[in-house]
Formats: sequence, C-alpha cells, structure tokens
Amino acid sequence: MNARHWAIILFLGLGIAKLPLEQHSTTTLRSAGALNAPTDLGLRENLGQMSFAASLGGLRSLVASITYLQAFAAFENVDWGKVDSLMTLTTRLQPNFGTYWDDAASRMGYDAASYYRYDESRPTLYRNRLYREHVARGIEILNEGLQRLPNDSKLHQRLGEFYARRLEPPDHVEAGEHFLLCSQNGGLKVYERMAAYEWAKVEDRPTQKRAYDILRSSYLRGLKLPSVIITLKALEKSLRIPPWQHIPETEGPRE
Amino acid sequence: MTPFRIWTLAMSTVTQLLRMKIIVFLAVFCVIVVAAAFAFPVMNPEQQLKLLKDVSFGALQLFAVIIAIVATALLLPRDVEDRTLYTILAKPVTRLDYLVGKLLGVLIVIASGLIIMDIAFSLVLWIREGMVLADAIAGLEHDHRGQVPPDALAAVTESVQKQGLTWSLHLGVWAIFLKAAVLASLALLISSFASSTLFTVVTAFCFAILGHGQGLLRDFLFKGGISYTEYAFAAVLAVICPDLGLFDAVDAVISGHVLSLREIGIMTGIGTLYVIGYTVVAYLVFVEKEL
Repeated sequence: MNARHWAIILFLGLGIAKLPLEQHSTTTLRSAGALNAPTDLGLRENLGQMSFAASLGGLRSLVASITYLQAFAAFENVDWGKVDSLMTLTTRLQPNFGTYWDDAASRMGYDAASYYRYDESRPTLYRNRLYREHVARGIEILNEGLQRLPNDSKLHQRLGEFYARRLEPPDHVEAGEHFLLCSQNGGLKVYERMAAYEWAKVEDRPTQKRAYDILRSSYLRGLKLPSVIITLKALEKSLRIPPWQHIPETEGPRE
Repeated sequence: MTPFRIWTLAMSTVTQLLRMKIIVFLAVFCVIVVAAAFAFPVMNPEQQLKLLKDVSFGALQLFAVIIAIVATALLLPRDVEDRTLYTILAKPVTRLDYLVGKLLGVLIVIASGLIIMDIAFSLVLWIREGMVLADAIAGLEHDHRGQVPPDALAAVTESVQKQGLTWSLHLGVWAIFLKAAVLASLALLISSFASSTLFTVVTAFCFAILGHGQGLLRDFLFKGGISYTEYAFAAVLAVICPDLGLFDAVDAVISGHVLSLREIGIMTGIGTLYVIGYTVVAYLVFVEKEL
C-alpha cells in the first residue's frame, strides 16, 4: 500500500470520525445561542437562489439586512403586502434580533393599520376591518417573536402597547401582563406601574388587587405621582379597602 | 519538520502573495466600511450599527474565503511553472516542510489582513457608536425637555452599546479566520493532486458551498426515513465535506451574543483538527507525486 492509499484511508477515516463530533458541537453551539438553526429550505423561493446561497454561506446576517432595506423601500412606497412578506423573511433569517420583530410588528400594527384607518377612499366599515386585521397581524408577529425571545423587554413593551392602545376594544389584562414582563426582563421600571394602570381599568377584583398592590408599594417607596394617587384612591374605593389602610386624604400629589 | 525552514518558506510565501496586490482589497474594504457607516441614517440606531457590522463582516468573510482558496490554489502550480519548487526541493527541505510553510504563509497573510480590517472596522464602529448614542440622547432630552430619567438614559445607552463595539466582535473575526484556515488547508489538499489551478479553485468553492450546508445535510442523514440512494449520497457528502457552518458565529455575534471561551474553544478545536487532518492527507498525496 503506497502513501496515496493511506491518504484516501485517512481522509475517509477523518470524514467518518468527524461526523459525531460535528453533530455534538453543532448541538452544543446552537443550544448556547452561538449558532443559528440552519436556513429554512422553504425560504429559498422567497429569497432567490443567490441570496439563499449567500445566507447558507455565512452571510445570513447581511442578507437579512438587505431584505430589511428592501422592506424599508416598500414601506416608503406604501406597499404593505410587500413590507409584510419582506419583514417576515428578515425575521426568519435573523430570529434572534429583537429589533426586527419589533419593526415588523410596528409596520403592520401601527403604520399599515393607521394608513387604512385614515384612507378615505374606502368605505368606513372596510377601513375598520383592515385596521383590525393589521393590528391582529402585529400582535401575531410579536407573539411569534416572543416564542423565540421570551425575555426580550422591548417585545413585551410593544405587545403591551398593542393590547392597550391599538386593539379595539383594548385587552387591559394582557396589556398589564406584558408591561409587567417588560419591567421584569430589564425594561424600564415605569412599566410595572403601567401594568397596574392597565389592571386598574378591569372590573375583575383579583386583577384590581394586583394593580393596587403594585401602586401601593410604589406609593410607600415615596413615588407620590398624581397618577399613582388618583388610581390608588379609585382602587381603594372599588376594592373596599378598610379606611385605616387608605393613603392620607390630605396629602397632595408631589413628584 | 524544521521550524526555521518552514518559517523561511512561510515568509517567502507572504512576499509572493503581497506581490499579487492583496493590499488593494484592504483599501476597498475601508471604503466599504466608511460608506456603510454613514448610509441609511434614517433607520433606528440599533439597525444603523447592525448594518455597519453586517457589511463589514460580509466583506471580512469574502476576503478570508477568497484569499484562502485562490491564494492557496495558485501557490503550488506557480512554483511548478516557474520551477521554484525544484530549486526548493533540491535543498534539504522535506515536502512536509514545503507544504506546511506554504500553508503557514497563506494563514499569515489572511490573519494580517483580518487584523488590519478588524482595526479599521472597530475604529469606524466606535466612532459611529458615539455619534448614534449622542443622537439618541439628544432625542431623549428633546422628548423630556432636558430632564431625562436616569433609567431611560441607561436603557438607551445599553441598547446602543449592545450593538456597538464589543470584545465578542473580535472573537467573531477569529471564527472567520478559523473557517479560512480550514478552507486553505482543504485547497492545499486539492492542489496537491490537481492538474490545474482552475480545478482546485472550482472544487474548493464547491466544498465551501457544500460545507456551509453540512448542518442541513447531517440533519437529513440522521433524521432517517430516506431512500437508500439518498442516504448513500448524503453520507458521502457529509463524510467528504467539512462543516463550515460550525464557524458561523458571526450571525449571533452581530445580534449581540457574547461568545464564551468554551464556545470559541470548541470552534478552535474543530478548526485545528481539520487543518492538521487535511495537511497530513495533503502530505501523503504530495510525498509520492512525480514533479
């Protein structure tokens, strides 16, 4: 046996031996978040062959940036269908970048929904239906993003805003849940109070109690903002809090 | 193996490659980075910085992969063509020294190029990060009439800094170097038996493309439920191709993931295994080659 035969044996041996090692390393790196899952083969038709090959070839993030820019161009041309499909493509390529989910949802739930609501060339009922459909699409995108990034404070904040301000009628319970999750996952502390303000609007007693507990604790920490005092007073009344537990009547709101 | 001879050969390879005007690519890279840094200022701050990183890392990867394949593929045939190879091997230089010296030379050129580009990119990113942060803070001050709450300021600063210059970005460059090193050693192996430069370049690029889809291929192979022919075809490809997707940490790094020492250790270990394995196979092919 000459050196060439040994070369072939070594090459094939190395190839077989590396398979379990590669599989194990890939699993470890993917679970640690250092590697993304492979590009979905279903994206090939939407991306085109060149972009798909580039996304396979380690340029996935760059391809995502390009599809994002194309979505931005479609946004400027008010082509909402194209914006949605390109932003979907972008989030599929880079599912761990929260900003893409946030932007995709905002384009649909804010920009497209508002565009249709104020588009007077369409009948009012139809405009309202398009508004609701696009807000629902925004919520759907955010829920999908949160499945990937459950601890992303910005996505929780945005979803809370959707439930509180975009959905008709608003869902104050869900809005409060997401505002609270925003605050618990590194978001601004103000969102804890936002959750309480949302829950205070619900007639359900246990939910109002949660709102009361948050606001009372803020008040006791010295946060005596007008909104805190007014909402606490209303909650004391609706929850029938014993008078000796009420916050002082005489104390005026101060920052 | 003689380290001194290998080093001498590596340095001569570096000189040989620098004469091929590789430096021009670095200048083009700098122009691309600066252009990307100031393009699309209407986007949100995070996306502006991400776009700069995407374009820069894309250019870094292209540079590394192209130089790794083309430069390595050119070296052996050129030495045969201008008869330098005979002069070298007539001296007390083993064929292993020659191959390792050539590979080391290519790796030095790639590493130097990546370091220079990393410095240029880091500088531009650092400047841009400062500008984007200043704009974001100015926006906040405008919204809050000069009295920005400290937690809002901290949140904006954190979100911009997460997309700005971090140590993890340099580890991303290291992952690109590892990928290039694997491709260079693979191109050296192909070059050791190939009859033409074009064959080496085309074949190595095919391996590069297949290597990036190796994860999909292996999932397909291990998932089962496929025909015997499909299984055999997938198995052959999975055995002969290196998994280059293992070095694609750049995507995660750009999104803000911080690579741990363990993760970078796994990549370095696998990369070293490929380079040593392919170089030994290349030597076994080259040692009996009639020149």
